[in-house]
Amino acid sequence: MTVAGYEMKLERRVTLAGWQAALIALLAIGVALAAFSVLFILAGASPLTAYREIFRYAFFNRYGSLLTLNRFIFLALATFAFVIPFRAGLWNIGMTGQMYVGALAAFGVLYAFGGKQPGSANLNPYVVIPLMVIAAAVGGAITGAVAGFLKGKWDVNEIVVTMMLNFMAFWLVSHMIKEGGPFMNPGGRGESFEVPPSVRGPLIGNVPFTIVFALGLALLLEWLFAKTKLGYQIRAYGHSPKAARYAGIVPERISILVFVVGGAIAGLAGYHYFAAVPGVYKISRDYAYFGDLAFYGIICGLIARGNAIAALPVALLFGGLSIGGRFVQGKLGLGFGIDYALLGVLMITLVAFQFFYRYRFAWNRSE
Amino acid sequence: MGMNERVQLQQGDLWRDVRPGEVILEARGITKRFPGVVANDHIDFEIRAGEIHAILGENGAGKTTLMNILFGLLQPDEGEIYLRGRRVQFRSPLDAIQMGIGMVHQHRKLIPAHTVIENILLGHPQAGSVLNLKQAEEKVAALAERYGFKVDLRARVWQLSEGEKQAVEILKALYRGARILILDEPTSALTPPETERLLEAVQAMAQDELGIVPFITHKLPIVLAISDRVTVLRQGRVVARMATREATEQLLAQKMVGREVLFRLQKPDVTPGEPVIQVENLAARNDKGHLALDGVSFTIREGEILGIAGVSGNGQHELAEVLAGLRPVEQGRILFAGQDITHLPILDRWRLGIGYIPAERIDVGSIGDFSLIENVLMNYYFDEGFVRQGIIDYDKAYRLTERLIVEYNVATPSPRVKARYLSGGNLQKLILARVLSRKPRLIIANLPTQALDVGATEFVRNKLLAAKAQGAAILLISEDLDEIMSLSDWIAPIYEGRLMGMLPAAEAKKETVGAMMAGLQQEAYAS
Repeated sequence: MTVAGYEMKLERRVTLAGWQAALIALLAIGVALAAFSVLFILAGASPLTAYREIFRYAFFNRYGSLLTLNRFIFLALATFAFVIPFRAGLWNIGMTGQMYVGALAAFGVLYAFGGKQPGSANLNPYVVIPLMVIAAAVGGAITGAVAGFLKGKWDVNEIVVTMMLNFMAFWLVSHMIKEGGPFMNPGGRGESFEVPPSVRGPLIGNVPFTIVFALGLALLLEWLFAKTKLGYQIRAYGHSPKAARYAGIVPERISILVFVVGGAIAGLAGYHYFAAVPGVYKISRDYAYFGDLAFYGIICGLIARGNAIAALPVALLFGGLSIGGRFVQGKLGLGFGIDYALLGVLMITLVAFQFFYRYRFAWNRSE
Repeated sequence: MGMNERVQLQQGDLWRDVRPGEVILEARGITKRFPGVVANDHIDFEIRAGEIHAILGENGAGKTTLMNILFGLLQPDEGEIYLRGRRVQFRSPLDAIQMGIGMVHQHRKLIPAHTVIENILLGHPQAGSVLNLKQAEEKVAALAERYGFKVDLRARVWQLSEGEKQAVEILKALYRGARILILDEPTSALTPPETERLLEAVQAMAQDELGIVPFITHKLPIVLAISDRVTVLRQGRVVARMATREATEQLLAQKMVGREVLFRLQKPDVTPGEPVIQVENLAARNDKGHLALDGVSFTIREGEILGIAGVSGNGQHELAEVLAGLRPVEQGRILFAGQDITHLPILDRWRLGIGYIPAERIDVGSIGDFSLIENVLMNYYFDEGFVRQGIIDYDKAYRLTERLIVEYNVATPSPRVKARYLSGGNLQKLILARVLSRKPRLIIANLPTQALDVGATEFVRNKLLAAKAQGAAILLISEDLDEIMSLSDWIAPIYEGRLMGMLPAAEAKKETVGAMMAGLQQEAYAS
């Protein structure tokens, strides 16, 4: 193609620096927002107003920014659950199921301590909360381990297994919380009993304490990959299973390990949303919505190219847009689903722009 | 007139009235250069109607390049191809197919989930829009009947044996009108009865004035059994052409291997010490599940080099993997310094002092996206000197890598460079440096100098000799007979998974070893 005396050609990139990847991501976000303007215009809203409202509410409003942070923690944890197997070259598509089972396990602890009974207000938080957190991690880990074990032992495709487990976990939640289920809310309503006030996840400021998990794990994971023997083994296996095996790394062990750790973190995401976010404190009727949201962990992980720290700003953006999108939908009287549509367009654009991780445009003065 | 009709017409003209024994394909001066190597150097040869003309050569002799040129996958830099006296140029395999050239690949190109007839019709010019399945089936069945292929046309390809899949590929080529059939290592995956059937079918096709061109790396008996004429390639050149009835296995082996100038290497004078590795009656399977090693026994002592001579695919690769712990043992046992390590995990073998230099240096021996430091760590990440409480001492690994780069002359701007940017020779030096720096008591070196330039080859050989001088036991696997002869203390030719004998290198003759590599027993050459 020739433009104004310059010939444009696609060239393969040899290397990609971190800042280039970041720049490409920013460009993609810009393009996505521009493209999505069309939908706002069709819906009769001014895109500028809409975006201003979205960003203002999501990041600068007292209430909105807290909601954004809740989403951010959830997405960051779901992303880590994807990233750990990803670094070993494996695909965890089962954050949703692992998150559900984690939530169920946490509520199982409450149930065992009699938390379902009304008037169980004086459960000891120093015992019950740590147990809930541990149970959530263990629940997610076991769910993840199934895929890791099958992959490691018999090379069963981990994508299929984790995907199928999502469906199983979804209906398991339904069975547990809907009418007749052991975790059923005494008032019915198709949701679980509530977390008694004494054992709700504590807040730091107004933010759930689980933000410590999100930020701490990002640092911990990158340190693990960069400095430790375990991280080395995971990365070696991720780059070349054959070479890893040659070096004495046992594939089965890596496969199980990454899915156990990934699943455990997804379990924490379940704990976070259903037991530590103010205003929720139960497995809500619309739990499937959060299951869908967990899938954005994949996209955040891919955009961050498997780097847990780089995933943080991406998770924050997605969390904010999902909150802000929902807000303008109400405020400007737009159609249902505008928030997810916005995330969808953003996602597709970011994925499409990954093309530029491998190719770049070169301009040459044409003869 | 449609495109397809035109092609059909051309082909019809081209192949009208073929006389028995007429030259149907002639290649003149075929030359193909790749960076740093002349793969085909002015190759001339001709194929006659009704003739089976084997092309023989070791790996790297230029067979694959020539085959790809004949099938239109590569274009020659120089030279011409004539079909029945008419000059042709194949821009792609499609051209070659349309001109009547058929190819049966060693690695089958069939779709496993589809039926035989679907695979045969796939890509056929008339299979585009309206498919007359019944008519096609009748035609294919007639072809199968004529040449004695017993294949169920409605079976799915995944259900077929290797021999049947090969029959499908041949039928596919014939159905598309092939008059010259290129067979790439036709018997490599076949069982003996399947081989027998293939030979009969090939002879029947020759009776119908087709030209058949099998390309063969080893299995000299097959060449003698199947072909009318044979052309031997070595280092990109034709080194012999003869009528098969004038050839013997010994002669072909000698032509294939050639007589090259030996490197003058200073073989250190080492008195052999204690046995380091003892292998007893070892058997193992290859990836396909066939027995690749059978009844292999040997001992290597401190300071000794045992050379396993053989053309690839005779079990030497599996032998290396079994010793390194990468492949399970079917039968027999392995003793390392008296300890039974038959089922010991890979990592424990590294720790015990077994060092493995794999033939696949890019896929197995290194990680392209890892820095040189991280590549060196492949043999050190488990070492107490480099790991404290699960944390790797990357500074120490950096210093080690720096030292190895200097000691082994690895050309690189920095230890932080990714391994993928190293040349083959430099990568091999790095792998060698990493493995030898652990001072292993046993070194398994699989094709250590394959595809390296002269300088790097000599460097690697000298490093192995230096390790021997320090008392290491070395198992050297090579297809380069000169290398085996000049480095080893003992030579064990391997053929179809068995060691054909154990010769002291000082007394071994190259012709004897070459013949044993081709499957002839030692006794026949005892004189």
